Amino acid sequence: MNTLAEDQKSVNQPKPTKKRKLIGDRGDYFLNRIEGETGANVSACYQCERCTNACPVSHFMDIKPHQAVRYVQLGWREDLLKSSTIWVCLSCEMCTTYCPNEVGVAEVINHLRNIAAHSSITPKEKNLAVFHQTFLEVLRKSGRVNEFQLMNAYYLKPNILHEKIKSGSFKEELLLGLTLLRKGRLKPFTSRSKAIKDIQKAYIQARGEIV
Amino acid sequence: MKLSFYPGCSLEGMAVDYARSIDAVFKALDIDLVEIDDWSCCGATAAHSLSEAMSVILPARNLSAAEQMGLDIVSPCANCFNRLRFSQQMIQKRVLDIPWPVTGDLKIHDMTRFLAEPPMIKKIEKRVLKPLKGLKLVCYYGCQMVRPPRITGYTDYENPQTLDRISAATGAQVIDWSYKATCCGASIGIARREIGDSLTKRLLDKARQAGAEAIVVSCPLCQSNLDMIQKGRLERPIPIFYFTELLRLSFSDRGNPKWFKTHFTNPVQLLKTKSLL
Ligand code: SF4
Ligand code: SF4
Repeated sequence: MNTLAEDQKSVNQPKPTKKRKLIGDRGDYFLNRIEGETGANVSACYQCERCTNACPVSHFMDIKPHQAVRYVQLGWREDLLKSSTIWVCLSCEMCTTYCPNEVGVAEVINHLRNIAAHSSITPKEKNLAVFHQTFLEVLRKSGRVNEFQLMNAYYLKPNILHEKIKSGSFKEELLLGLTLLRKGRLKPFTSRSKAIKDIQKAYIQARGEIV
Repeated sequence: MKLSFYPGCSLEGMAVDYARSIDAVFKALDIDLVEIDDWSCCGATAAHSLSEAMSVILPARNLSAAEQMGLDIVSPCANCFNRLRFSQQMIQKRVLDIPWPVTGDLKIHDMTRFLAEPPMIKKIEKRVLKPLKGLKLVCYYGCQMVRPPRITGYTDYENPQTLDRISAATGAQVIDWSYKATCCGASIGIARREIGDSLTKRLLDKARQAGAEAIVVSCPLCQSNLDMIQKGRLERPIPIFYFTELLRLSFSDRGNPKWFKTHFTNPVQLLKTKSLL
Protein backbone atom coordinates (compact mmCIF):
# COMPACT_ATOMS: atom_id res chain seq x y z
CA MET A 1 0.00 0.00 0.00
CA ASN A 2 1.16 3.48 -0.81
CA THR A 3 0.97 6.11 1.84
CA LEU A 4 -1.17 9.11 1.17
CA ALA A 5 1.89 11.25 0.67
CA GLU A 6 3.26 8.88 -1.93
CA ASP A 7 -0.07 8.81 -3.72
CA GLN A 8 -0.19 12.55 -3.84
CA LYS A 9 3.31 12.69 -5.11
CA SER A 10 2.48 10.39 -7.98
CA VAL A 11 -0.52 12.53 -8.82
CA ASN A 12 1.37 15.74 -8.68
CA GLN A 13 4.31 14.57 -10.70
CA PRO A 14 3.26 12.32 -13.52
CA LYS A 15 6.18 10.44 -14.98
CA PRO A 16 6.79 11.74 -18.46
CA THR A 17 5.96 8.70 -20.59
CA LYS A 18 6.10 10.38 -23.96
CA LYS A 19 8.36 13.12 -25.12
CA ARG A 20 6.36 16.29 -25.29
CA LYS A 21 5.53 17.40 -28.76
CA LEU A 22 6.30 20.86 -29.91
CA ILE A 23 3.37 22.90 -31.01
CA GLY A 24 3.54 25.25 -33.92
CA ASP A 25 6.96 24.16 -35.11
CA ARG A 26 5.74 22.85 -38.45
CA GLY A 27 4.16 25.88 -40.00
CA ASP A 28 0.94 25.59 -41.92
CA TYR A 29 2.15 23.64 -44.93
CA PHE A 30 0.12 20.48 -44.19
CA LEU A 31 -2.93 22.49 -43.15
CA ASN A 32 -2.88 24.41 -46.42
CA ARG A 33 -2.39 21.24 -48.39
CA ILE A 34 -5.38 19.49 -46.81
CA GLU A 35 -7.60 22.55 -47.05
CA GLY A 36 -6.64 22.98 -50.69
CA GLU A 37 -7.15 19.37 -51.66
CA THR A 38 -10.42 18.79 -49.82
CA GLY A 39 -11.94 22.24 -49.77
CA ALA A 40 -12.59 21.67 -46.06
CA ASN A 41 -12.55 24.53 -43.61
CA VAL A 42 -10.03 23.04 -41.20
CA SER A 43 -8.86 26.35 -39.75
CA ALA A 44 -12.40 27.18 -38.66
CA CYS A 45 -12.51 24.42 -36.04
CA TYR A 46 -12.86 25.67 -32.45
CA GLN A 47 -12.67 22.23 -30.81
CA CYS A 48 -16.26 22.02 -29.66
CA GLU A 49 -16.11 18.20 -30.05
CA ARG A 50 -19.52 18.05 -31.61
CA CYS A 51 -18.10 15.85 -34.37
CA THR A 52 -16.71 13.34 -31.90
CA ASN A 53 -19.95 13.26 -29.94
CA ALA A 54 -21.89 12.59 -33.12
CA CYS A 55 -19.53 9.87 -34.31
CA PRO A 56 -20.91 6.33 -33.84
CA VAL A 57 -17.47 4.71 -33.68
CA SER A 58 -15.30 7.29 -31.92
CA HIS A 59 -14.65 4.85 -29.05
CA PHE A 60 -12.85 2.56 -31.50
CA MET A 61 -10.57 5.39 -32.65
CA ASP A 62 -7.20 6.27 -31.18
CA ILE A 63 -7.36 9.87 -32.44
CA LYS A 64 -10.90 11.24 -32.07
CA PRO A 65 -12.40 13.17 -34.97
CA HIS A 66 -11.99 16.60 -33.31
CA GLN A 67 -8.41 15.70 -32.44
CA ALA A 68 -7.78 14.65 -36.01
CA VAL A 69 -8.84 18.12 -37.12
CA ARG A 70 -6.46 19.71 -34.60
CA TYR A 71 -3.65 17.38 -35.72
CA VAL A 72 -4.12 18.62 -39.27
CA GLN A 73 -3.85 22.20 -38.03
CA LEU A 74 -0.63 21.30 -36.25
CA GLY A 75 0.74 19.36 -39.20
CA TRP A 76 1.10 16.09 -37.29
CA ARG A 77 0.86 14.11 -40.48
CA GLU A 78 2.51 10.82 -39.55
CA ASP A 79 0.38 10.40 -36.41
CA LEU A 80 -2.73 10.73 -38.51
CA LEU A 81 -1.60 8.33 -41.21
CA LYS A 82 -0.61 5.77 -38.58
CA SER A 83 -3.92 6.09 -36.70
CA SER A 84 -6.74 3.59 -36.56
CA THR A 85 -9.13 6.54 -36.97
CA ILE A 86 -8.75 6.89 -40.71
CA TRP A 87 -9.64 3.22 -41.26
CA VAL A 88 -12.33 2.83 -38.63
CA CYS A 89 -14.26 5.87 -39.92
CA LEU A 90 -17.40 4.72 -41.70
CA SER A 91 -17.91 7.84 -43.81
CA CYS A 92 -21.30 8.12 -42.18
CA GLU A 93 -21.04 11.93 -42.42
CA MET A 94 -22.45 12.58 -38.94
CA CYS A 95 -19.45 14.73 -38.06
CA THR A 96 -19.67 16.87 -41.19
CA THR A 97 -23.42 17.28 -40.85
CA TYR A 98 -23.31 18.47 -37.24
CA CYS A 99 -20.17 20.60 -37.26
CA PRO A 100 -21.23 24.18 -36.49
CA ASN A 101 -18.36 25.55 -38.57
CA GLU A 102 -18.84 23.40 -41.65
CA VAL A 103 -15.38 21.97 -41.27
CA GLY A 104 -15.99 18.89 -43.44
CA VAL A 105 -14.50 16.46 -40.93
CA ALA A 106 -15.50 13.30 -42.82
CA GLU A 107 -13.98 14.67 -46.01
CA VAL A 108 -10.72 15.41 -44.20
CA ILE A 109 -10.58 11.94 -42.66
CA ASN A 110 -11.39 10.35 -46.01
CA HIS A 111 -8.66 12.33 -47.69
CA LEU A 112 -6.17 11.24 -45.02
CA ARG A 113 -7.21 7.67 -45.78
CA ASN A 114 -6.46 8.34 -49.44
CA ILE A 115 -3.03 9.72 -48.57
CA ALA A 116 -2.30 6.77 -46.27
CA ALA A 117 -3.32 4.31 -48.98
CA HIS A 118 -0.70 5.83 -51.27
CA SER A 119 2.05 5.88 -48.66
CA SER A 120 4.53 3.37 -47.28
CA ILE A 121 2.86 3.37 -43.86
CA THR A 122 1.28 0.05 -42.89
CA PRO A 123 -2.37 0.73 -42.03
CA LYS A 124 -3.11 0.28 -38.34
CA GLU A 125 -6.37 -1.48 -39.25
CA LYS A 126 -4.88 -3.61 -41.96
CA ASN A 127 -7.93 -5.81 -42.53
CA LEU A 128 -10.18 -2.86 -43.17
CA ALA A 129 -7.73 -1.50 -45.71
CA VAL A 130 -7.36 -4.90 -47.34
CA PHE A 131 -11.12 -5.19 -47.67
CA HIS A 132 -11.39 -1.91 -49.57
CA GLN A 133 -8.49 -2.99 -51.74
CA THR A 134 -10.10 -6.35 -52.51
CA PHE A 135 -13.37 -4.66 -53.44
CA LEU A 136 -11.62 -2.54 -56.04
CA GLU A 137 -9.69 -5.53 -57.40
CA VAL A 138 -12.95 -7.39 -58.01
CA LEU A 139 -14.44 -4.25 -59.53
CA ARG A 140 -11.53 -3.92 -61.93
CA LYS A 141 -11.83 -7.54 -62.98
CA SER A 142 -15.49 -7.57 -63.90
CA GLY A 143 -16.80 -4.01 -63.79
CA ARG A 144 -19.33 -5.09 -61.19
CA VAL A 145 -18.83 -6.49 -57.72
CA ASN A 146 -20.24 -9.91 -57.03
CA GLU A 147 -20.42 -10.51 -53.29
CA PHE A 148 -19.48 -14.18 -53.59
CA GLN A 149 -16.31 -13.39 -55.47
CA LEU A 150 -15.59 -10.47 -53.17
CA MET A 151 -15.75 -12.62 -50.05
CA ASN A 152 -13.68 -15.39 -51.63
CA ALA A 153 -11.03 -12.94 -52.76
CA TYR A 154 -10.99 -11.34 -49.32
CA TYR A 155 -10.53 -14.66 -47.49
CA LEU A 156 -7.64 -15.52 -49.77
CA LYS A 157 -5.69 -12.40 -48.82
CA PRO A 158 -2.66 -13.05 -46.61
CA ASN A 159 -3.54 -13.70 -42.96
CA ILE A 160 -7.27 -13.08 -43.26
CA LEU A 161 -8.29 -16.73 -43.24
CA HIS A 162 -5.72 -17.51 -40.59
CA GLU A 163 -7.06 -14.80 -38.28
CA LYS A 164 -10.66 -15.85 -38.86
CA ILE A 165 -9.84 -19.45 -37.95
CA LYS A 166 -7.91 -18.35 -34.89
CA SER A 167 -10.70 -16.12 -33.62
CA GLY A 168 -13.18 -18.94 -34.19
CA SER A 169 -15.45 -16.95 -36.47
CA PHE A 170 -14.54 -18.89 -39.60
CA LYS A 171 -16.93 -21.79 -39.11
CA GLU A 172 -19.82 -19.49 -38.45
CA GLU A 173 -19.06 -17.37 -41.49
CA LEU A 174 -18.69 -20.44 -43.69
CA LEU A 175 -22.12 -21.67 -42.59
CA LEU A 176 -23.53 -18.22 -43.17
CA GLY A 177 -22.07 -18.23 -46.67
CA LEU A 178 -23.58 -21.63 -47.43
CA THR A 179 -27.00 -20.49 -46.22
CA LEU A 180 -26.74 -17.40 -48.40
CA LEU A 181 -25.86 -19.57 -51.40
CA ARG A 182 -28.82 -21.83 -50.69
CA LYS A 183 -31.16 -18.87 -50.35
CA GLY A 184 -29.88 -17.55 -53.66
CA ARG A 185 -28.47 -14.37 -52.17
CA LEU A 186 -24.93 -15.20 -53.20
CA LYS A 187 -24.37 -15.94 -56.86
CA PRO A 188 -21.24 -17.88 -57.82
CA PHE A 189 -21.13 -16.26 -61.26
CA THR A 190 -20.91 -12.60 -62.12
CA SER A 191 -22.54 -10.71 -64.86
CA ARG A 192 -19.73 -8.68 -66.29
CA SER A 193 -19.99 -5.18 -67.55
CA LYS A 194 -18.47 -4.51 -70.94
CA ALA A 195 -16.79 -1.50 -69.44
CA ILE A 196 -13.81 -3.32 -67.96
CA LYS A 197 -11.40 -2.04 -70.61
CA ASP A 198 -12.52 1.55 -70.08
CA ILE A 199 -12.38 1.23 -66.31
CA GLN A 200 -8.92 -0.29 -66.36
CA LYS A 201 -7.75 2.49 -68.62
CA ALA A 202 -9.15 5.10 -66.23
CA TYR A 203 -7.27 3.38 -63.41
CA ILE A 204 -3.99 3.50 -65.26
CA GLN A 205 -4.52 7.19 -66.02
CA ALA A 206 -5.40 7.89 -62.38
CA ARG A 207 -2.01 6.40 -61.47
CA GLY A 208 -0.37 9.07 -63.58
CA GLU A 209 0.51 6.88 -66.52
CA ILE A 210 -0.27 7.86 -70.07
CA VAL A 211 -2.33 5.46 -72.13
CA MET B 1 -43.77 7.37 -67.18
CA LYS B 2 -40.32 6.16 -68.05
CA LEU B 3 -37.14 6.30 -65.98
CA SER B 4 -33.71 4.78 -66.24
CA PHE B 5 -32.90 2.36 -63.46
CA TYR B 6 -29.47 1.89 -61.88
CA PRO B 7 -29.80 -1.34 -59.89
CA GLY B 8 -26.28 -1.54 -58.48
CA CYS B 9 -24.33 -4.70 -57.70
CA SER B 10 -26.23 -5.74 -54.57
CA LEU B 11 -29.50 -6.14 -56.40
CA GLU B 12 -27.97 -8.93 -58.46
CA GLY B 13 -26.84 -10.77 -55.34
CA MET B 14 -27.56 -10.11 -51.68
CA ALA B 15 -30.66 -8.05 -52.44
CA VAL B 16 -32.42 -10.20 -55.06
CA ASP B 17 -35.57 -9.96 -52.94
CA TYR B 18 -35.39 -6.17 -53.20
CA ALA B 19 -34.95 -6.40 -56.98
CA ARG B 20 -37.94 -8.70 -57.39
CA SER B 21 -40.23 -6.57 -55.27
CA ILE B 22 -39.18 -3.39 -57.10
CA ASP B 23 -40.08 -5.06 -60.35
CA ALA B 24 -43.52 -6.03 -59.11
CA VAL B 25 -44.25 -2.65 -57.50
CA PHE B 26 -43.27 -0.54 -60.49
CA LYS B 27 -45.27 -2.76 -62.81
CA ALA B 28 -48.27 -2.32 -60.56
CA LEU B 29 -47.79 1.45 -60.52
CA ASP B 30 -47.40 1.45 -64.27
CA ILE B 31 -43.98 3.11 -64.28
CA ASP B 32 -41.46 1.90 -66.80
CA LEU B 33 -37.98 1.26 -65.40
CA VAL B 34 -35.34 0.80 -68.07
CA GLU B 35 -32.11 -0.67 -66.78
CA ILE B 36 -29.12 1.49 -67.69
CA ASP B 37 -27.32 -0.03 -70.59
CA ASP B 38 -24.32 -2.11 -69.49
CA TRP B 39 -24.07 -0.36 -66.13
CA SER B 40 -20.98 -0.78 -63.96
CA CYS B 41 -20.26 -0.57 -60.23
CA CYS B 42 -20.33 2.89 -58.59
CA GLY B 43 -17.26 2.03 -56.51
CA ALA B 44 -19.15 2.30 -53.21
CA THR B 45 -17.14 3.15 -50.10
CA ALA B 46 -14.00 1.43 -51.29
CA ALA B 47 -13.41 3.74 -54.23
CA HIS B 48 -13.60 7.00 -52.32
CA SER B 49 -11.65 5.54 -49.42
CA LEU B 50 -8.68 4.68 -51.56
CA SER B 51 -8.95 7.00 -54.53
CA GLU B 52 -11.14 10.07 -54.58
CA ALA B 53 -10.67 10.51 -58.33
CA MET B 54 -12.07 7.07 -59.09
CA SER B 55 -15.08 7.76 -56.90
CA VAL B 56 -16.03 10.49 -59.38
CA ILE B 57 -15.03 8.61 -62.52
CA LEU B 58 -16.70 5.25 -61.81
CA PRO B 59 -20.27 6.56 -61.32
CA ALA B 60 -19.78 8.98 -64.22
CA ARG B 61 -19.82 6.10 -66.66
CA ASN B 62 -23.36 5.26 -65.63
CA LEU B 63 -24.44 8.89 -65.72
CA SER B 64 -23.09 9.07 -69.23
CA ALA B 65 -25.00 5.95 -70.30
CA ALA B 66 -28.21 7.29 -68.77
CA GLU B 67 -27.75 10.63 -70.53
CA GLN B 68 -27.52 8.78 -73.78
CA MET B 69 -30.86 7.19 -72.99
CA GLY B 70 -32.16 10.62 -72.04
CA LEU B 71 -33.98 9.37 -68.95
CA ASP B 72 -33.78 10.56 -65.36
CA ILE B 73 -32.21 8.01 -63.03
CA VAL B 74 -33.80 6.26 -60.12
CA SER B 75 -31.55 4.36 -57.72
CA PRO B 76 -32.84 1.88 -55.15
CA CYS B 77 -29.57 1.62 -53.20
CA ALA B 78 -28.69 4.36 -50.74
CA ASN B 79 -24.98 4.14 -51.36
CA CYS B 80 -25.26 4.11 -55.17
CA PHE B 81 -27.58 7.11 -54.94
CA ASN B 82 -25.09 8.98 -52.80
CA ARG B 83 -22.15 8.15 -55.07
CA LEU B 84 -24.04 9.06 -58.24
CA ARG B 85 -25.06 12.41 -56.74
CA PHE B 86 -21.54 13.09 -55.52
CA SER B 87 -20.10 12.31 -58.93
CA GLN B 88 -22.72 14.50 -60.60
CA GLN B 89 -21.78 17.48 -58.41
CA MET B 90 -18.09 17.04 -59.11
CA ILE B 91 -18.80 16.80 -62.84
CA GLN B 92 -20.86 19.99 -62.71
CA LYS B 93 -18.02 21.73 -60.92
CA ARG B 94 -15.64 20.48 -63.64
CA VAL B 95 -13.11 19.35 -61.06
CA LEU B 96 -11.95 16.34 -63.01
CA ASP B 97 -11.68 15.06 -66.55
CA ILE B 98 -14.09 12.26 -67.25
CA PRO B 99 -13.25 9.72 -69.97
CA TRP B 100 -16.90 9.55 -71.09
CA PRO B 101 -19.14 12.25 -72.54
CA VAL B 102 -21.20 13.48 -69.60
CA THR B 103 -22.82 16.76 -68.58
CA GLY B 104 -24.37 15.83 -65.24
CA ASP B 105 -27.71 17.39 -66.13
CA LEU B 106 -30.00 14.45 -65.42
CA LYS B 107 -32.07 14.23 -62.26
CA ILE B 108 -31.02 11.45 -59.89
CA HIS B 109 -33.80 10.23 -57.63
CA ASP B 110 -33.49 7.96 -54.68
CA MET B 111 -36.32 5.51 -54.95
CA THR B 112 -37.96 6.35 -51.64
CA ARG B 113 -38.21 10.07 -52.32
CA PHE B 114 -39.49 9.39 -55.81
CA LEU B 115 -42.33 7.27 -54.43
CA ALA B 116 -43.02 9.60 -51.51
CA GLU B 117 -44.00 12.56 -53.68
CA PRO B 118 -47.66 13.45 -52.98
CA PRO B 119 -49.00 12.33 -56.40
CA MET B 120 -47.15 9.02 -56.06
CA ILE B 121 -48.50 8.47 -52.55
CA LYS B 122 -52.00 9.03 -53.92
CA LYS B 123 -51.31 6.49 -56.64
CA ILE B 124 -50.04 4.00 -54.07
CA GLU B 125 -53.04 4.51 -51.81
CA LYS B 126 -55.36 3.83 -54.74
CA ARG B 127 -53.48 0.68 -55.59
CA VAL B 128 -53.57 -0.85 -52.08
CA LEU B 129 -55.82 -3.88 -52.07
CA LYS B 130 -55.14 -5.19 -48.61
CA PRO B 131 -54.05 -2.55 -46.09
CA LEU B 132 -51.36 -3.77 -43.70
CA LYS B 133 -53.56 -3.04 -40.70
CA GLY B 134 -52.02 -3.52 -37.31
CA LEU B 135 -48.44 -3.99 -38.46
CA LYS B 136 -46.22 -1.87 -36.21
CA LEU B 137 -43.17 -0.58 -38.06
CA VAL B 138 -40.21 1.69 -37.61
CA CYS B 139 -38.49 3.09 -40.70
CA TYR B 140 -34.74 3.03 -40.87
CA TYR B 141 -32.94 5.26 -43.38
CA GLY B 142 -29.27 4.82 -42.52
CA CYS B 143 -26.57 7.28 -43.53
CA GLN B 144 -25.96 7.43 -47.21
CA MET B 145 -29.47 8.28 -48.35
CA VAL B 146 -29.75 11.38 -46.17
CA ARG B 147 -26.22 12.57 -45.44
CA PRO B 148 -24.45 14.79 -46.19
CA PRO B 149 -27.46 16.99 -47.01
CA ARG B 150 -25.52 19.08 -49.53
CA ILE B 151 -25.17 15.95 -51.68
CA THR B 152 -28.41 14.10 -50.99
CA GLY B 153 -30.63 17.19 -50.98
CA TYR B 154 -32.55 16.04 -47.92
CA THR B 155 -33.68 18.98 -45.80
CA ASP B 156 -35.18 16.81 -43.07
CA TYR B 157 -32.02 14.76 -42.63
CA GLU B 158 -32.50 14.53 -38.86
CA ASN B 159 -35.98 13.12 -39.11
CA PRO B 160 -36.51 11.96 -42.69
CA GLN B 161 -40.05 11.07 -43.71
CA THR B 162 -40.02 9.37 -47.12
CA LEU B 163 -40.19 5.77 -45.89
CA ASP B 164 -42.62 6.79 -43.15
CA ARG B 165 -45.01 8.27 -45.68
CA ILE B 166 -44.81 5.25 -47.99
CA SER B 167 -45.28 2.78 -45.16
CA ALA B 168 -48.23 4.76 -43.83
CA ALA B 169 -49.79 4.65 -47.29
CA THR B 170 -49.83 0.85 -47.11
CA GLY B 171 -52.03 1.12 -44.00
CA ALA B 172 -49.38 0.01 -41.52
CA GLN B 173 -48.86 1.72 -38.19
CA VAL B 174 -45.62 3.70 -38.35
CA ILE B 175 -43.88 4.40 -35.06
CA ASP B 176 -41.55 7.33 -34.55
CA TRP B 177 -38.11 6.60 -33.13
CA SER B 178 -34.78 8.32 -32.70
CA TYR B 179 -32.48 6.02 -34.62
CA LYS B 180 -33.73 6.59 -38.16
CA ALA B 181 -30.42 7.79 -39.51
CA THR B 182 -27.88 6.24 -37.13
CA CYS B 183 -25.19 4.25 -38.90
CA CYS B 184 -25.52 0.44 -39.10
CA GLY B 185 -21.79 -0.06 -39.65
CA ALA B 186 -21.94 -0.71 -43.40
CA SER B 187 -19.31 -3.25 -44.44
CA ILE B 188 -17.08 -2.75 -41.40
CA GLY B 189 -18.37 -5.98 -39.84
CA ILE B 190 -16.59 -8.07 -42.45
CA ALA B 191 -13.17 -7.02 -41.24
CA ARG B 192 -14.00 -5.78 -37.71
CA ARG B 193 -16.86 -7.87 -36.45
CA GLU B 194 -17.23 -6.28 -33.01
CA ILE B 195 -17.63 -2.75 -34.37
CA GLY B 196 -20.31 -3.79 -36.83
CA ASP B 197 -22.15 -5.90 -34.26
CA SER B 198 -22.20 -3.17 -31.63
CA LEU B 199 -23.88 -0.77 -34.05
CA THR B 200 -26.49 -3.16 -35.46
CA LYS B 201 -27.41 -4.60 -32.06
CA ARG B 202 -28.11 -1.15 -30.71
CA LEU B 203 -30.44 -0.41 -33.61
CA LEU B 204 -32.37 -3.64 -33.07
CA ASP B 205 -32.68 -2.96 -29.34
CA LYS B 206 -33.93 0.55 -29.91
CA ALA B 207 -36.45 -0.64 -32.49
CA ARG B 208 -37.80 -3.18 -30.00
CA GLN B 209 -37.98 -0.56 -27.28
CA ALA B 210 -39.99 1.66 -29.60
CA GLY B 211 -42.48 -1.19 -29.89
CA ALA B 212 -41.79 -2.13 -33.50
CA GLU B 213 -42.62 -5.55 -34.86
CA ALA B 214 -40.56 -5.02 -37.99
CA ILE B 215 -38.09 -2.56 -39.49
CA VAL B 216 -38.50 -1.03 -42.94
CA VAL B 217 -35.37 -0.22 -44.91
CA SER B 218 -34.38 0.82 -48.40
CA CYS B 219 -30.67 -0.02 -48.39
CA PRO B 220 -29.36 -3.51 -49.25
CA LEU B 221 -26.45 -3.23 -46.85
CA CYS B 222 -28.63 -2.08 -43.94
CA GLN B 223 -31.01 -4.93 -44.66
CA SER B 224 -28.33 -7.63 -44.62
CA ASN B 225 -26.64 -6.20 -41.54
CA LEU B 226 -29.83 -5.99 -39.51
CA ASP B 227 -31.20 -9.27 -40.83
CA MET B 228 -28.16 -11.56 -40.66
CA ILE B 229 -27.04 -10.59 -37.18
CA GLN B 230 -30.28 -12.05 -35.80
CA LYS B 231 -29.40 -15.49 -37.09
CA GLY B 232 -29.54 -17.93 -34.20
CA ARG B 233 -30.15 -15.29 -31.55
CA LEU B 234 -32.70 -16.15 -28.93
CA GLU B 235 -34.41 -12.82 -28.32
CA ARG B 236 -37.60 -11.88 -30.07
CA PRO B 237 -36.64 -11.69 -33.76
CA ILE B 238 -37.60 -8.61 -35.68
CA PRO B 239 -37.98 -8.99 -39.45
CA ILE B 240 -36.36 -6.47 -41.78
CA PHE B 241 -38.44 -5.53 -44.83
CA TYR B 242 -37.53 -3.61 -47.90
CA PHE B 243 -40.23 -0.97 -48.31
CA THR B 244 -41.03 -2.35 -51.74
CA GLU B 245 -41.78 -5.75 -50.18
CA LEU B 246 -44.45 -4.13 -48.04
CA LEU B 247 -45.85 -2.29 -51.04
CA ARG B 248 -45.97 -5.51 -53.00
CA LEU B 249 -47.73 -7.25 -50.14
CA SER B 250 -50.36 -4.53 -49.81
CA PHE B 251 -50.90 -4.46 -53.60
CA SER B 252 -52.00 -8.09 -53.77
CA ASP B 253 -54.94 -9.63 -52.01
CA ARG B 254 -53.00 -12.80 -51.31
CA GLY B 255 -49.31 -12.51 -50.61
CA ASN B 256 -46.94 -15.36 -51.19
CA PRO B 257 -44.70 -16.65 -48.36
CA LYS B 258 -42.11 -17.47 -51.03
CA TRP B 259 -41.43 -13.75 -51.47
CA PHE B 260 -39.69 -13.77 -48.11
CA LYS B 261 -37.70 -16.98 -48.34
CA THR B 262 -34.41 -15.12 -48.77
CA HIS B 263 -34.82 -13.47 -45.36
CA PHE B 264 -32.93 -14.80 -42.35
CA THR B 265 -35.46 -13.47 -39.89
CA ASN B 266 -38.54 -15.06 -41.31
CA PRO B 267 -41.46 -12.61 -41.35
CA VAL B 268 -44.06 -15.19 -42.41
CA GLN B 269 -45.11 -15.98 -38.84
CA LEU B 270 -45.62 -12.32 -38.01
CA LEU B 271 -47.60 -11.68 -41.19
CA LYS B 272 -49.76 -14.71 -40.56
CA THR B 273 -50.68 -13.62 -37.03
CA LYS B 274 -51.79 -10.31 -38.52
CA SER B 275 -53.65 -12.32 -41.20
CA LEU B 276 -51.73 -10.53 -43.91
CA LEU B 277 -50.56 -13.72 -45.59
S1 SF4 C 1 -17.60 19.84 -34.75
FE1 SF4 C 1 -16.40 21.15 -36.12
S2 SF4 C 1 -15.76 22.90 -34.87
FE2 SF4 C 1 -16.46 21.29 -33.46
S3 SF4 C 1 -14.59 20.17 -32.93
FE3 SF4 C 1 -15.50 19.10 -34.67
S4 SF4 C 1 -14.52 19.99 -36.46
FE4 SF4 C 1 -14.13 21.39 -34.76
S1 SF4 D 1 -17.75 10.08 -40.93
FE1 SF4 D 1 -16.26 8.92 -39.73
S2 SF4 D 1 -15.48 10.34 -38.20
FE2 SF4 D 1 -17.34 11.24 -39.06
S3 SF4 D 1 -18.95 10.62 -37.64
FE3 SF4 D 1 -18.89 9.09 -39.28
S4 SF4 D 1 -17.49 7.47 -38.56
FE4 SF4 D 1 -17.18 9.29 -37.26
